[in-house]
Amino acid sequence: MRTKSKFTVGSVAFRVFLYFYAVVNLYPIVWMLFYSFKDNAEMFVTNPFGFPKVFHWENYVKAWKTFNIPVYFMNSVKVTVITILITVTITTMFAYAVARMRFRGQETLRLVTLIGMFLPLQCIMIPLAVLVRDLHISNTLWAVIIPYVAFNIPFPVMVIYGYLRSLPYELEESACIDGATIWQCFIRVIVPNIKSAIATVVIFLFMGVWNEYNLALILLTRNNLKTLPLGIVFFQGEHTNDFGAMGATMVIASIPTIIIYIIFSNQVEKAMTVSGAVKG
Amino acid sequence: MKKYLGNKLMIGIFIMPVCAFIAVLILYPLFILVKNSFTTWDGLNPAVFTGIANYKRIFKDPLFYKSLKNGVIYAIIQTCYQIPLATLLAFAVKSVTNGEKKFFRIAYYIPAVLSVTVVCQLWVRIYDADYGLINKLFEILGLSYQQNWLGGKDTAIRAVAMVGTWQFTGYQFILLFSAANSVPSDYFEAALLDGCTKFKAHLRITLPLMQEAYRYCLIIAFTGGLNAFATMNIMTGGGPGTSTYTLTYLMYRSAFSVNNYGYGCTASVMLVLQSFIFSLIVNRVIAREQIIY
Repeated sequence: MRTKSKFTVGSVAFRVFLYFYAVVNLYPIVWMLFYSFKDNAEMFVTNPFGFPKVFHWENYVKAWKTFNIPVYFMNSVKVTVITILITVTITTMFAYAVARMRFRGQETLRLVTLIGMFLPLQCIMIPLAVLVRDLHISNTLWAVIIPYVAFNIPFPVMVIYGYLRSLPYELEESACIDGATIWQCFIRVIVPNIKSAIATVVIFLFMGVWNEYNLALILLTRNNLKTLPLGIVFFQGEHTNDFGAMGATMVIASIPTIIIYIIFSNQVEKAMTVSGAVKG
Repeated sequence: MKKYLGNKLMIGIFIMPVCAFIAVLILYPLFILVKNSFTTWDGLNPAVFTGIANYKRIFKDPLFYKSLKNGVIYAIIQTCYQIPLATLLAFAVKSVTNGEKKFFRIAYYIPAVLSVTVVCQLWVRIYDADYGLINKLFEILGLSYQQNWLGGKDTAIRAVAMVGTWQFTGYQFILLFSAANSVPSDYFEAALLDGCTKFKAHLRITLPLMQEAYRYCLIIAFTGGLNAFATMNIMTGGGPGTSTYTLTYLMYRSAFSVNNYGYGCTASVMLVLQSFIFSLIVNRVIAREQIIY
């Protein structure tokens, strides 16, 4: 192999380009963080671009106290946690049955669950809204949790199925000889073996559910049931003049996903590429 | 063993919950959707069967064509911006040090982990005609490009499309970056030994081997644009006038604003067809054979 000196004109140009695009990507977010600490005068006139001169922490206090943020935040937490718990439980069970147990039509059944991946899901928004109303769950958070679970079935099934297929059948054989029931074998032997797949799935679900907007918009009409993404839009109409506090609410809503992403960035990227590889 | 894994009762217990969710919340609504696209329905009273009246109407509706056109504009902007840019970034990041790699991957992907509402609200501020970042920047640079980005009939759809594009370029970058890294370097190095330049070797060898990743990127970029909804709903509400309507937005308005659920269902059916036809074409043209290295 030829060895080239590390700093050619080309590689410098590429670096400049990479850092430039990083700025294009990050500056709007940093700007949001800056203006969440500013008052209107500083934001619009004296210092629109830079680091805040005076930190107006009261924007955050105001967002938390008067903008109903704790309620929306808790709604988001509840919806996300419950959706993840139910989805992971039922898809792991389902994937186990289609991957390792033996019955007729298991392959067809697995393919049917993948429909959700190829369908633009907003197309069933209308019938879903009517269905949720007819099931009489409109006044609870189940109005979004149940559809979220249904829409999030394909990806976990796909990932967990793949992992389960790669495990040796000796696992079940030895469990069978030891006299364990299939349920005990599933809980004590199989689940511990697919922890990393489950972790990928949990993070993928968290990112999707925490930020979901379209379905929440049509299914959650009562103000005290709104999740954070909806709540933020609601402020836009209510408090159009208080941009600092608006910025604070946006920062509060973004912190959980950003932190989780930075900690688990490899997992998140893995989840994305796996879903890409199969969906195409 | 056969009896162990063929336990009918346990199979039933394991598969029932997922089957129930899929049947009730995906297949049944899909059936209702297709059925009610042939009816006049206000969502409350029983639907009245009206045959293909809705379909006749939608093909005569100028708003339908406008929505289609906007979807295509959105899709083209998204595709033409994201895919070349993500390709360039992916190959550039391949050649930097590991520490920088980590930084760039996180920096490029972060907008994609934000909620669409946060991103849209943020860009409403950035686009603001009087105090927005973009117009201020032009002012400082002494250029007279200042305009009301979201308020102009022609600029609005492009401005809205750029927000979705900005948010998800990092996603495409991650897909292409990992695809580029999974191509074995043997072929590439062999080409270099034969005296090929780096650029040409990537163009002729690495890129063609990534065609499956490209197919997927193309499908999500384009159908994502055709089906766009949240960005216009938050930023412009379809306006000014009807200049940022897309098909999903048309469906949403027909059902939830004017209570014309039947017509909304018809729009939804067109939405499914549109994505389906596009995916079919792409699958026919790109990466028809699977590559196994």
